[in-house]
Amino acid sequence: MEESSEQQLDAKSKVTSQLIDFEWKLGMAVSSDSCRSLKYPYVAVMLKVADHSGQVKNKSFEMTIPQFQNFYRQFKEIAAIIETV
Amino acid sequence: MAAELEGSKCLSGLLSGLAQDTFYGHPGITEELLRSQLYPEVSLEEFRPFLEKMKGILKSIASADMDFNQLEAFLTAQTKKQGGITSEQAAVISKFWKSHKTKIRESLMNQSCWDRGLRSLSWRVDGKSQSRHSAQIHTPVAIMELEIGKSGQICSPVVFKQLDKLDKICDIKRLYTMVSEYQ
Repeated sequence: MEESSEQQLDAKSKVTSQLIDFEWKLGMAVSSDSCRSLKYPYVAVMLKVADHSGQVKNKSFEMTIPQFQNFYRQFKEIAAIIETV
Repeated sequence: MAAELEGSKCLSGLLSGLAQDTFYGHPGITEELLRSQLYPEVSLEEFRPFLEKMKGILKSIASADMDFNQLEAFLTAQTKKQGGITSEQAAVISKFWKSHKTKIRESLMNQSCWDRGLRSLSWRVDGKSQSRHSAQIHTPVAIMELEIGKSGQICSPVVFKQLDKLDKICDIKRLYTMVSEYQ
């Protein structure tokens, strides 16, 4: 009961999705149809999110190593701030 | 073949133009633009196969990510071919690859992400809040907005409501440690 009233009052929940899970893998791109020799590592992420109706969707994306390192730094910053709020 | 095409004076400019089009995806670099800017004395009929030849060479070098030994061997072979390149042209191409290699490789990496690369990330932390209808105080939440792909598809804002989701950070930390081995 409290859950649903909390959702009704939470204006954000209509436009945002709840993060349920964060799956990742570290891959190595070797070759592609447009480039014979790629040879670079990358991080592939699959976010499982639930919208306000509860429907679960997957959102996937990739990051190069420098992009992931920046991403991680931001995540850590968010965690640190949430602790103090 | 037109004398200008055997020279190497404008070749550097031509390779830059080719890189803009083939790797960096800048629009509007047509063969006519390159011809009129760099080889105005040459007819389009003669220019076209020359351009294709240089494009092919540049693409082969980039695709194989040639190191300097492979590059020298490859370019030497091109100078010995019928309808190949001159040794001055080989020198220009070699110099071009050495200075643009990193940037071209980076473009190729980005291109191979297709539409799934993370382009940008913005976030906000909302503090504790209360509403007059609900005595319940909302716990702090983090809202993240991700821009994914070339078309700039915005992933609708993602909220981390429960702090325990951020325990995933420990798992991500493991990934971070692993990744540093690939630097």
